[in-house]
Amino acid sequence: MAAQSLRPMKKILTIIIQLLFIICSALPAISQQGKDSSATKELDEVVITATRSERKLGNVAIPVRVIQQKTIQQTGSLRLQDILQEETGVVIVNSNLGSSLNGYPNPFGQGVQMLGLDPAYTLILLDGEPLIGRNAGILQLGRLATGNIRQVEIVKGPSSSLYGSEAMAGVINIITASPQKEKIEWQAHAGSHHTAAGTVSYANRFNRTGVQFFVNRYSSSGYDLDPSVYGKTVDPSRDWNSQLKITHDFSNQWQWLLSLRDYDSKQSNNYQIYWQNNPAIVRGYTTEKDQTAFSQLRWQWNTDHKIYFRTFYDHYRNHSYVNLDKTNTPFDETSFDQSILKPEIQFESGKPGKGLYTAGAGTYFEMINASRYAGKRTLTTLYTFTQEEWKMLHQKLTIIAGGRIDKRSDFAARISPRLGLAYQPDNKWKFTASSGWGFKAPDFRHLYLNFFNSQVGYSLLGSQELGSELLLMQQQGLLQNGADITPYLHPPALRPETSFGSHAGVKYNGNRWTIEAGLFRNDIRNLIDVFTLPFSRSNGQAIFSYHNVGRVYTQGVETDIKYKVSKTIFLSGGYQFLDAKDKEIIQQIKQSSLYERDPVSFQTRLVRRSDYFGLFNRSRHTANIKLLYDDEKSGWNAYLRLLGRGPFGYADVNGDNIADDPREMVKGFMMMNAAVAKSVNDHFQLQAGVENIFNYTDAQHLPEIPGRLFFVNMNYTFEKSFQYHKTNKK
Amino acid sequence: MKHAFLISCSLALTVLMVSCKKDNTVAPVQPVTKTKDITVNFSSATPFTLFSFKDTSVVANSDSSSAKWDFALRLTTFLVNSYSGGPGNAGVVVMDGVYDNTTAAPSIGYAYDTTASQRAIKDGSWYDYNITTHSFVPKAGKVFIFRTADGVHYAKMELLSATYAPFTGPVPQQIIYTMRFTYQPDGTRSF
Repeated sequence: MAAQSLRPMKKILTIIIQLLFIICSALPAISQQGKDSSATKELDEVVITATRSERKLGNVAIPVRVIQQKTIQQTGSLRLQDILQEETGVVIVNSNLGSSLNGYPNPFGQGVQMLGLDPAYTLILLDGEPLIGRNAGILQLGRLATGNIRQVEIVKGPSSSLYGSEAMAGVINIITASPQKEKIEWQAHAGSHHTAAGTVSYANRFNRTGVQFFVNRYSSSGYDLDPSVYGKTVDPSRDWNSQLKITHDFSNQWQWLLSLRDYDSKQSNNYQIYWQNNPAIVRGYTTEKDQTAFSQLRWQWNTDHKIYFRTFYDHYRNHSYVNLDKTNTPFDETSFDQSILKPEIQFESGKPGKGLYTAGAGTYFEMINASRYAGKRTLTTLYTFTQEEWKMLHQKLTIIAGGRIDKRSDFAARISPRLGLAYQPDNKWKFTASSGWGFKAPDFRHLYLNFFNSQVGYSLLGSQELGSELLLMQQQGLLQNGADITPYLHPPALRPETSFGSHAGVKYNGNRWTIEAGLFRNDIRNLIDVFTLPFSRSNGQAIFSYHNVGRVYTQGVETDIKYKVSKTIFLSGGYQFLDAKDKEIIQQIKQSSLYERDPVSFQTRLVRRSDYFGLFNRSRHTANIKLLYDDEKSGWNAYLRLLGRGPFGYADVNGDNIADDPREMVKGFMMMNAAVAKSVNDHFQLQAGVENIFNYTDAQHLPEIPGRLFFVNMNYTFEKSFQYHKTNKK
Repeated sequence: MKHAFLISCSLALTVLMVSCKKDNTVAPVQPVTKTKDITVNFSSATPFTLFSFKDTSVVANSDSSSAKWDFALRLTTFLVNSYSGGPGNAGVVVMDGVYDNTTAAPSIGYAYDTTASQRAIKDGSWYDYNITTHSFVPKAGKVFIFRTADGVHYAKMELLSATYAPFTGPVPQQIIYTMRFTYQPDGTRSF
């Protein structure tokens, strides 16, 4: 299957490239055409993430992609990852926490890879506030229900100038619906693997008060990709997701927003382990709870000046246990408890269409208490940010300059500036360029992890734990005899990883065509990586810790094309070329000091520059094509989507620890989704669809891809029309 | 299956080439190049596997306090038969390069097991282990040049692969290393 799927992939790439050429040559002709309403409509979309304030998309100097609620509904998927991968340049990667020594994968979750950077480098915001509870840097995307999303905004490129740590590859801001008018919505979803989901949402406005309530339950029986291994690949689970939003306008000047969110998930654990060297079954549960509270007071004392007072609190807990099935005695238990409190104040001044000034300051109190960390740990970050936007040349040129200072308790203050330019000669063309610095602070695991793998016997220690733990291990006789621990008693403090990124792009908004193309480049320094200590535990097993070592770059090209075939048919496609490499490796190759050994012939030779494919888990080519039929008159809409991911490196086999041999690669693959929906009347909609039509699976490398899925959706919406408001305005 | 076939082919080829060489040369003592699997223990509670280049074979563990072996291996810990490692005069230099092109042993720079913590071969320096995938591969281009335990002969050695012996428990009991080595019996430093 995988081998077959590579050929059409290549074919599609050639088609895309050919299309690009045709389009480029046709461009001057197209630009002669008349004014188009869809183009202006798109420019009128309001986005928040790029500037931290509500701005019309057309005015923003930083490239922003928006996924609208309608698009989410058309896909019919309840999984956020399915929706995000609709976007060119957003690659959903599997994030195995690892596999057992027997080779069974241990799927943990799927994360977002943007600009070729790992999931840990993309900040995920819900209504502008950061979500916590990342495990090994990965935030489980499944935690977010899609039913109440108004839009998803994706800003690629370093955004630390506004958002601080983690926003090195960019920001994904999930914006939920706000109470505007009376609306009641029910949704029922049923699909393969006994997937069942139900959503109820209610919104209303009572005079000065708005209320929005949303609740969703999702359950699935999981699936098994490899019946020869005991237990399912993904175990059964059920999730509850709910949100309550209250808005109240005290006056035209004072507005208040309160948002409460609760996520509760329970997943079975059922797998085989070895107990006293005999196979045994363990069972248990993993429960996850995430509760957030957000309050925002907005004071607008005149049309040009606003102040926001915000407080955000998030408490995330994860508890997992398994008991030996036969005796019901505890076998393993882990817990993870993280909370943040983030008070913030933000000031905005400026007229719409004119320049805008934004400034803010806040504090980030972080607490963690986990079984794999020694005791309760806290970190405090103070931050302040400022940004100014200028409009020049009759509003054709926008310049945006901003910066942020972050001071965390454990390292020196970090300054992240950013500069962006946008030039719009007319309402069809837009040229953008931006550059900025980003950083990612060492996280709790890099600092405080104190993990002993009881099955294999190795230790992984955070840099802050290393000295004291080595001393303790030596006193307890757990270290190799005579190990010299002195160089490691006071290891240098981990520094934040830093990046400098640039982006240049052009967008054409025509009558029927929308074409976007961009180039990006990111240089990252001080990457934190695992290293092996030169001595071992007394059991002969290695001790690992973290240090700042790596220098990598990622660069590439991104293109997106939308074509309106007719009033009802839309065709779109996107392609990303990515080149992501380790600079140290390139240097080693240049210096002729990196060797590879063929795993079959055992012939050793120097690695050539052309052999080096790039960082593991990155595909050079990713592409998507979407065909959409949307007829509001008849109430039918349908979409067909093809997603291709080129080959990517997985694990070393030839002794150089880089991806440079076909045997180290996972073959490229394609997935196709389709859905058809029919609005029976103004209130009632039915939808049916298939995901992963080709039934692509790879149990070893991509256990999070479940194979072909069928689903049906039923939607009932009751919306009060506000026709008279519009007439009133006139 | 395919791999097994390829391996046997390449082995046959190597044997063929080696035997061809023998026919063509007239020198009285030729260095012996061999490719061999050695099985070593995983757990620190188990004995080391001892190896002698001269005998081109594993030495019984009862000889651990003799100079009959040159190096010993358990999991990823190397012992060299010198000082704290053993009563011999063995030493080692780890060089970067292509095995076949490494034609001479250096005259100086040999490291010894000076103390139990100052081993001649540092753990972690010659392999890559991925803690998430558990992939374990000896680094390519690492040529171990040994002065043997008698202190007067030289050998070069390269680790070609490391695989876990089939196991049923949570962790492997043994690792099989495939290594290639060349022993120069005439006491010179050229291979």
